[in-house]
Amino acid sequence: MVEKLVLILTPIFAFFVGIFLEGFKRKMVARIHRRYGPPLHQPLLDIIKLLSKKENISHGVMFDLGPVIFVGASILTVLFLPLPHFKQLTPYGDLIAFLYIMVIGSLGMALGAGESGNPNASIGIARALTLMLGYELPLIIAGNTLVVRYGTTDLYKFMTLQSGFNWNLFLLPLTAIAGFIATYGAMGEHPFDTVVAPQEVATGPMVEYGGKHLGLLMIGHAIQVYIETAFFTILFLGGASNIFTFILKQLGVIIVMTLFDTVFPRFRIENAVRYFWRWPTLIALLGLLIVYIGGK
Amino acid sequence: MNFSLLMILLTPIFGGLLAYAGSALHKAVRNIFFLIFLILPFFELYQYANKTIDNFYYLTVLGQSLSLGINALSFMLSLLFSLIFLLAYIFLLFEFDKSEDSDLAILEFSFLEGAVFGVLFARDILSFFIFFEIIALIIFFLIGKGYEESHNAQLKYITWALIGANSMLAAVVFLFFKAGSFGYAEISGYLSTAPTPIVLITFVLFVIGFLIEASIMPLHVWAPITYAEAPDSVSVLLSSVVKKVGLYLFTIFVFSIFGLNLFSKIMPRVFEAPLIMYVLQWIGALTIIIGTFVAIVQEDAKKILAWSSIAQSGYILLGLSLGTPLGVAGGLLHIVNHSIFKGILFFVVGGVIYRTGTKNLSELGGLIKKMPISFISMLLAIIATAGIPPLNGFVSKYLIYEALIQNKEPLLLTIALLGGTGSFMYVYRLIHSIFLGQLPKKYEGVKEVPILMQVPMLVLSLLALLFGVLPGIPMYFVSKAEAFLGFDPIKYTLTGFPEQPGLHALNVPIISAALMGGFVVAALIFYLLPKTRSVHQLDNYYAGEILTEDVKYNYSFGFYSFFDDIIKPFNEWSIDRIYENFVGFVKTVGDYIRRIYTGNLETYVSLGIIILTIFSLIYIIGGVLW
Repeated sequence: MVEKLVLILTPIFAFFVGIFLEGFKRKMVARIHRRYGPPLHQPLLDIIKLLSKKENISHGVMFDLGPVIFVGASILTVLFLPLPHFKQLTPYGDLIAFLYIMVIGSLGMALGAGESGNPNASIGIARALTLMLGYELPLIIAGNTLVVRYGTTDLYKFMTLQSGFNWNLFLLPLTAIAGFIATYGAMGEHPFDTVVAPQEVATGPMVEYGGKHLGLLMIGHAIQVYIETAFFTILFLGGASNIFTFILKQLGVIIVMTLFDTVFPRFRIENAVRYFWRWPTLIALLGLLIVYIGGK
Repeated sequence: MNFSLLMILLTPIFGGLLAYAGSALHKAVRNIFFLIFLILPFFELYQYANKTIDNFYYLTVLGQSLSLGINALSFMLSLLFSLIFLLAYIFLLFEFDKSEDSDLAILEFSFLEGAVFGVLFARDILSFFIFFEIIALIIFFLIGKGYEESHNAQLKYITWALIGANSMLAAVVFLFFKAGSFGYAEISGYLSTAPTPIVLITFVLFVIGFLIEASIMPLHVWAPITYAEAPDSVSVLLSSVVKKVGLYLFTIFVFSIFGLNLFSKIMPRVFEAPLIMYVLQWIGALTIIIGTFVAIVQEDAKKILAWSSIAQSGYILLGLSLGTPLGVAGGLLHIVNHSIFKGILFFVVGGVIYRTGTKNLSELGGLIKKMPISFISMLLAIIATAGIPPLNGFVSKYLIYEALIQNKEPLLLTIALLGGTGSFMYVYRLIHSIFLGQLPKKYEGVKEVPILMQVPMLVLSLLALLFGVLPGIPMYFVSKAEAFLGFDPIKYTLTGFPEQPGLHALNVPIISAALMGGFVVAALIFYLLPKTRSVHQLDNYYAGEILTEDVKYNYSFGFYSFFDDIIKPFNEWSIDRIYENFVGFVKTVGDYIRRIYTGNLETYVSLGIIILTIFSLIYIIGGVLW
């Protein structure tokens, strides 16, 4: 009973954690830029503002459904991530299934943006998919390394097996680094923000979205921030024994990411993919080799 | 009523001949006649459910009885192929409605179905060879009725089909003389004690023949042009039926006739598989990755599908050649699933070509408002192709991935997973360039395809959804086929898989339900808020530029041009080029030989005299000629 209740409340929890992380990031960026910055709950205010717009523009049914699918699939993805003491839906799908569930949201978003008929949106999507091919390679190899090491694909088991201080960050530092770079690319932070690139393609997929559509996209984005950080936390930072440590670790991931994000310029898309296929992949392969030879 | 296997095989042929005669009366007579004969095999097959028949003798050749038989695997595939033939026939009627070739096309179509049944039912190496070559011949005729380049495609196809035929014929003849029999059982018995080189050579000769038909690299060269230039209904058959026939034969020969035990006995085991199977795994993996990357940069809708089809058969080969219960289940399930979703894609693209007259992606766009049914069908199909739950492609790929994990092969798993991500790129390109983006002015009058033409895509879409959400339905047949091949079938339930060694539990209906729950929440937020106002497709942000209907910014040509830049260094390594170099080499050699055989009588006489002199000299000196 408690488990079901937690399951239903998780998306809301994820949304607010995501909002908090986003707000924290904006504040931190501002402080690095020596500005005062917006309040922590600014992302929430933005969403409320967008959702209460009276005028909403639509380019067709798929255009409307795009954000809906994005949010719906993000909610689904959250349910497949374990929480401390709660398996959530992990008994019904493992790491491999999770990798594919994670893609549904991007697919919906891509279809919606495609129907707008704006070339900027299409270019943004083309870049997003190419970038995905880039960061998936080190991510897959890093994931493989963990699977080889622990002999399981269950996300909840990954979390319990690292309890204490047996974090993969310490045990498999190379794999963790590769996994971090890949997750960082998946978040689309500088220098991998070619997808939105405001100066080139006018925020890419989002270019035609405004009003409640954009509001929904921002809800989805907040949940996605939660998903990416929680995914990294579960795989490499040992999960957590209670919910506060969990959020604290996610916050740590965001802080490190923001440190990089604020100082880098932007890659061209080809170079971003080449980068992913070169350094993180090599590091990940090395990590895999060590695990493969060094013992299970 | 009791139908014999020979009757099932002859039903479509008989129907085709009747329909051909009926076409003298009226087209409708022909169409309905043949439709009835395409539905009949379902009823005839029904009595063979759960039966294994091995020795239905129908002919005696060289003192040997040729036999037909049916088992769980061929039963499953003949049901599937009957369905696809039926749907492709409905499509073919529309595709050829204005063509004069339609009567002949239907006749050839009927022989093709008969020959496919023949290969599935054959229980000896001579019958399967003959039926297999009938397939190749008829496909050759059918391709010629396609697009402008189809005659080039015909040549390429028949060349490769002949290479395969000759290589298989050599093995057939060799085994017949050694074993003294054609029957699968006798051949299998002979091979179990045969010397290692004989086993290896015959195996490689057979596998070359099968893998050419399955368009596995490096034997795929004919496939892209043939798939792209053949008529659309024939492309469906090529990808969903003929390719699967090749893979069916591969399965039967590897697991049932040669057998994994035989391979384990004569060669070392690598990663829990005999060496030759391990090599085949890598061939499958390379087919996946190269096929996917080439598909990404294509500009022709049917070429994308062709390369995608090549890549997907890589998954099947990879799964099958793992040789574990999980891998084989994944491979067999992917045979079924790929036939279904690639069928949808070819039907939808064919429908778009039927209405717009082009398969060039950069000329299309924005058809979603004109052809919504086609759009939904293609949406389901691309989700399945990319292997995303809850469509059917997900389950079979999932099994293959888990099988790779079980065998502890991280490199192959990486390649397979990366191929999955790459497939996401080309399927999005396909749906974007056809249905999304801006609608060109010339297609403003385009209508949805006729209702009967929607039937094939809708039926297959429903199947894709059903098999995706309830994987237990296809697994019922697959596990029986697996038991026939001598494996411990993996455990399954209607909704997915329970926890078992090497396989994490999976429950697709729960994933779907959670997805629907998420959608409902999001849709509630969306539709309870103020209504939207529809605007024209040009009412967009173009950084201050004002666009008209005539000058458009539609991002469609060179969709992944930056990806093209990344893989450009590897374009030099094309397999086509290796073959072209080989052809050049043969031409050079031929050129030298032509200088001797000039066609001039004096040259021949002088050549004869020279050789005679040499021989006489050797004889005079005292050498022995032979």
